[in-house]
Amino acid sequence: MIWNHVTKDLSAYVHGELTPDEARRIGEHLVGCRRCRHEYDEIRFGAEAVRELKIVSAPDSIWTDLEAALDARPDKKSWASALFPLPAFSYALAVLAIAAAIGFAIFRQQTPPATDTGWEVTRIDGAPAIGDQRIASRGRLKPGEWLTTDSSSRAQISVGQIGEVKIDPNSRVRLADASPGTHRLAIEVGRMEAFIWAPPRQFFVDTPSAVAVDLGCSYTLEVDRRGAGKLKVTLGWVAFEWKGRESFVPAGAVCLTRPDSGPGTPFFDDASTVFIDTLAEFDAARNDTEKMSALDALLPLARKRDGLTLWHLLSRTEGGARGRVYDRLTSLIPAPAGVTRRGVIDGDRGMLDSLWEPLELGDSSWWRLWKAPFPAPTARIETTTDNN
Amino acid sequence: MNEMASERLLIEACRSGDREAFRRLYELHKDRVYSIALHFSGNESSARDIVQQVFLKLFTRIGEFRSESIFSTWLHRITVNACLDEHRKQRRFISIDDQGGEEEGDENQFIESRVTIETDYSMIERSALVRRAVGRLKPKLRIAILLKYFEDLSYREMAEALGCSEGTVASRLNRGHRELAGLLEALRGDIK
Repeated sequence: MIWNHVTKDLSAYVHGELTPDEARRIGEHLVGCRRCRHEYDEIRFGAEAVRELKIVSAPDSIWTDLEAALDARPDKKSWASALFPLPAFSYALAVLAIAAAIGFAIFRQQTPPATDTGWEVTRIDGAPAIGDQRIASRGRLKPGEWLTTDSSSRAQISVGQIGEVKIDPNSRVRLADASPGTHRLAIEVGRMEAFIWAPPRQFFVDTPSAVAVDLGCSYTLEVDRRGAGKLKVTLGWVAFEWKGRESFVPAGAVCLTRPDSGPGTPFFDDASTVFIDTLAEFDAARNDTEKMSALDALLPLARKRDGLTLWHLLSRTEGGARGRVYDRLTSLIPAPAGVTRRGVIDGDRGMLDSLWEPLELGDSSWWRLWKAPFPAPTARIETTTDNN
Repeated sequence: MNEMASERLLIEACRSGDREAFRRLYELHKDRVYSIALHFSGNESSARDIVQQVFLKLFTRIGEFRSESIFSTWLHRITVNACLDEHRKQRRFISIDDQGGEEEGDENQFIESRVTIETDYSMIERSALVRRAVGRLKPKLRIAILLKYFEDLSYREMAEALGCSEGTVASRLNRGHRELAGLLEALRGDIK
């Protein structure tokens, strides 16, 4: 008997798409085949998981825009049936009108709307406030408005339809931009937890010393009264950027930011205390001597997992210092074919990308994505005293 | 009057330019089309764009619709095309080659590129994790999964909407489900 595995039919089996005879054959096979049974469990789990997705109501405003597009047509009354009997030149005009209507509709969507909608805020604990108004249960944070929590209050912000942000006590955040396709908060002080399920680069958070760019993730962000911040990523990735200084932070990693120097070098949170402290010395170094001294102490402490940190240090050093970072990195994680010490010291972007691959933190498409141009921050938040 | 006969009357009214009939036809289908568009694109703005394009195309070309055909099949096809068009448009603005190699033959390809969702999910809504995982599927797998679960289509209906064979539909769903299982490893045990 030829033993044919049944993996290719398993979704159809789960969905009841097979004839009774086919289904029986597959059922019998699954009883005796561990490999196919494992595949079946995977597919059934995937199928059950996707049932968690719920129907989302279309916003009412879509019909309004659609009507506007239809009204922009030259013959409103009988346009549908009139299209086809028309002479060729009229047909061409109609096509142009439709194209114009679609363009108009798209233009309407891409143009910032009247900014009176904002994002929904739900009270979790205590009495969070939007401006000077306390939130009893739910409120609406409009662009430009501040949400403030005191020592006993917490709130949750719905980020359009792409995610949620929880605001912890003693925090102050502002909705910086909620125009279509843009989701931007600013945090002046406090702590927030963000969970974003949209594709990368849909959600931004301005802090006084860096911009956190969501690359599809869950993370916490803390900012103190001096404007220094701490980003910790729990899922996915975040880019942390300020004035040309960039850090790319994966799940399990942390990145600090300071008002005077922007984002520091990211590190995994299970790194040793001495490694983290020495890295902080490197990031805070005011001159080459201090920098080299910190680097001397740091490099021998690096583990293989600290390749993330070493890779970032390549772009924060030059010349011989960069060569030493390269030497330590490649002693822990061999360089891929085609990557040379000389090329890395010279800043060859392709080689730096290639060095990313063996870190096993995702392929370099993440890197390319990260390097896409950042939208400019709406405004830098100056560290101020709280006016409340 | 059954649902299909009622829809047929609506379509006839649409053909004569009855705006109220358009409105009712839109109301019948808007939420499912929007849901597919939202979960496919991952953002509200693109989803709105897709829905608008779908219904503009539908209303302006309803004269081409033949009454012996099934309206929903036509609508699904327009929706699939609008989603994939929007995706192509977005790709022009994001230089990431994340959609290559989508042929059916390479069943294990996703294993290479998947990013496992892990840790600390207890604080996160389960459906939100699923939304994110679906968003990470390649477009052809994602649209197949969304059509299956939001429209509850048979493999034959899906094949018509996607313009492929039923075997290809089965293959894409197989890959989509397996990839989701891998991405949602952290939820195993929570979902029965």
